[in-house]
Amino acid sequence: MKSYFLDIYTGLLSIFKGMLLTLKVAFQRKATIQYPFVKRELPSRTRGRLNCNIKDCIGCKLCAVACPVDCIYITTVKREPPEEIPLTSPESGAKQRKFHLPQFDINFTLCCWCGLCTVVCPTECLTMTKEYEFSVTNQKELVWQFGDNQRVGPKESTS
Amino acid sequence: MAELQTQELTINMGPQHPSTHGVLRIELVTDGEICVKAIPHIGYLHRCFEKHAENVDYMGVMPFVDRLDYVASMNNDMTYAMTVEKLLGVEVPKRAEYIRVIMVELNRIASHLLAVGTYGLDIGTFTPFMWAFRDREKILDIFEMASGARLLYNYLWIGGVWMDLTPGIEEKIQEFCDYFEPKIDELDTILSYNQIFINRTKNVGVIPLDLAISYGLTGPNLRGSGLKWDLRKNEPYSIYPELEFDIPVGTGEQGTVGDCWDRYMVRMREMRESLKIVRQALKKIPEGPFRAKMQRVKPAPGESYVRTENPRGELGFYIVSDGGLKPYRVKGKSSCFTSISCLDDLCHGAMIADVVAIIGSLDIVLGEVDR
Repeated sequence: MKSYFLDIYTGLLSIFKGMLLTLKVAFQRKATIQYPFVKRELPSRTRGRLNCNIKDCIGCKLCAVACPVDCIYITTVKREPPEEIPLTSPESGAKQRKFHLPQFDINFTLCCWCGLCTVVCPTECLTMTKEYEFSVTNQKELVWQFGDNQRVGPKESTS
Repeated sequence: MAELQTQELTINMGPQHPSTHGVLRIELVTDGEICVKAIPHIGYLHRCFEKHAENVDYMGVMPFVDRLDYVASMNNDMTYAMTVEKLLGVEVPKRAEYIRVIMVELNRIASHLLAVGTYGLDIGTFTPFMWAFRDREKILDIFEMASGARLLYNYLWIGGVWMDLTPGIEEKIQEFCDYFEPKIDELDTILSYNQIFINRTKNVGVIPLDLAISYGLTGPNLRGSGLKWDLRKNEPYSIYPELEFDIPVGTGEQGTVGDCWDRYMVRMREMRESLKIVRQALKKIPEGPFRAKMQRVKPAPGESYVRTENPRGELGFYIVSDGGLKPYRVKGKSSCFTSISCLDDLCHGAMIADVVAIIGSLDIVLGEVDR
């Protein structure tokens, strides 16, 4: 009989303690932010959508090899002798661009955001941006083109 | 009256059940309100990790390793990296080891927070879940600063870590440690010592020590049964011998040794120990390189097995190399798989409502069960 009432007492006490704590926390600063209106500042290492500065790309295909899900598609065409070989920008080491790059596509439906491709890039032309809001309604629009003389963006625009 | 019999009814729990922590289907044979048999059906999250690993190079396996136990990615990374390093014979720089241990212990806190929070949710209380996620978010912010990702970090690499610590992150970790210590007390007040919670979890799902050992349980599930077995102490790896920490075990404080409350409490106490480790490692962290110098990951033919203490127990990787750029075979030994195998023994004779409590206390992540 005694333990029965003791049980009720300890039960009520523990709930009261918890409620008191909840009340205290209720008046603390909110931990959430109103997302679409307020956006968090992302750190500099954020691994968002890939971006390729094709003017610095030398067509070595190291990124395509390093990619564990094979989501980077590159076609290279060798520049023949009469044609002058341009150089990449001085910041990236002024390397010779021996190839035309008619195709440099990245399929973001496959990409797993591991960042391994950005590490192996010798000219650091393939980088991860802070952009993370690029959802679309048609998955064909997630295949992006970065090739020579191409508009950077979805390869096929369905809208 | 003696002839009056109730018919056994087979019901299906999951794979979309909110308290199965993923996609686990359990076939429950019930006798009224009592569960007679519980057969777990796994495989809904099978992603062919082991076969996949044979087709990418050693570094490329890392993102897949992240996705095994997706709430403790750092720990998985560390185990895999250590296995390949053993195969290569590479020595990891001291700074990298310290960074690794800091990250791994922070991830252990994050993982336990998720386990504890969702366990409360399973039992029927919502507030601790929100609080746990609020604090977990702070750890994820630290990880995001260091690695750039919030869940699948790919930060601990073969031979060290990807990049050095971001400037200012050490202060942030210190700040988190100071912030989080009182929050554990708050969680204790609102959940651990709440009478309703204790009554729901004490004497439920008792795993006696001999059953735990015969099933090969590891981690908090084994320690909850009262055995002091932690690979960080018993088979020290990395820099753990240099650090001081205790191993909490289940004592049967509220009911029987090895009940759900004990397993839950081991996790709560482990968070404090992890904080201790992080604090010590932050003080001792030396300067130096953060990654070992090596040409390319191409180990000589051979095999290696390394096991480490993950938040959920023992994770081991067995890698066979044929001298090529890709592993010949990668086998992952997961602790969740062994935990889930003893579900039938635990659920036999339990109430249906307690089945939820038992699954929650085992703290399984289906990503690791199915691989």
